[in-house]
Amino acid sequence: MFECKDVAEEASNYLDGDLPLGKRVGLFLHLVYCSCCRRYLQQLRQTITTVAVLRPQEQHQTDTQALAEKLRAISKTES
Amino acid sequence: MEKVAKHEQLDEKALIAKLIEGDAAAFDYVVDRYHSIMLSVARAIIGEAFADEVVQEAWVSAIKALPRFEGRASLKTWLLQITSNGAKTRLRRESRQLSLDDGWQAEPDEKFDKRGHRIDDVLPWNMETPDALLENDQLRQVIENTFQKLPPHQRAVLTMADIEGLEMTEICNILDISSSNARVLLHRARTMLHHSIEKYQES
Repeated sequence: MFECKDVAEEASNYLDGDLPLGKRVGLFLHLVYCSCCRRYLQQLRQTITTVAVLRPQEQHQTDTQALAEKLRAISKTES
Repeated sequence: MEKVAKHEQLDEKALIAKLIEGDAAAFDYVVDRYHSIMLSVARAIIGEAFADEVVQEAWVSAIKALPRFEGRASLKTWLLQITSNGAKTRLRRESRQLSLDDGWQAEPDEKFDKRGHRIDDVLPWNMETPDALLENDQLRQVIENTFQKLPPHQRAVLTMADIEGLEMTEICNILDISSSNARVLLHRARTMLHHSIEKYQES
């Protein structure tokens, strides 16, 4: 039997379609009667989409313009 | 889950031709677009201390090899693979498997009863769409901060999977980890972000 705890652990695999059939059915049946888990999955999905829209990036101190210029200079000497 | 980052269908052949010609705008574009994710991969493999150097070297190797780029993979995947190879060489370890047996749980035990049922209700969020969530500056900052605090491996997997839309097999190759490792890391990262939004909504 799938319980809420199992849903919390397998949620990403379920959303990504990577759960084997047996587990997928078990999780689905749990969702039929558990509104908490339905809401949890919906929120996790929304979290994923939100992060994709926000596109947070690595923090760094690199001067990207200077790096681009340096690389261009290297490519000139190569050609 | 549908891949979200398939929007980048810019003509790579044209871009690469411009790079080979030495077009300054093309260099600005690629560095701006890919530096951060290359850093993410390097940090995940080798850690903060050498990541910057590894990425700089990867850029130089990539630019030198560019005329031989055959386009079998996307430019992004190719750059990440070069970064990954550089980081791994630096690390001088042939294979690695992350230990994930660290007692991590998607949700703490006290959220469930003995039979594994949730004790408290999962409260609905009052903002239903990503756009609505992101309109809130404070919440944007909460998500951004949580992302920055994720362990480097989680950040790298999340960035490649959910932001850049790479396939799991590519991610596993780049980070040299197993598919089950990658899935666990991705789920942990997403869970941390979900918690941070949940906590914000409850406050």
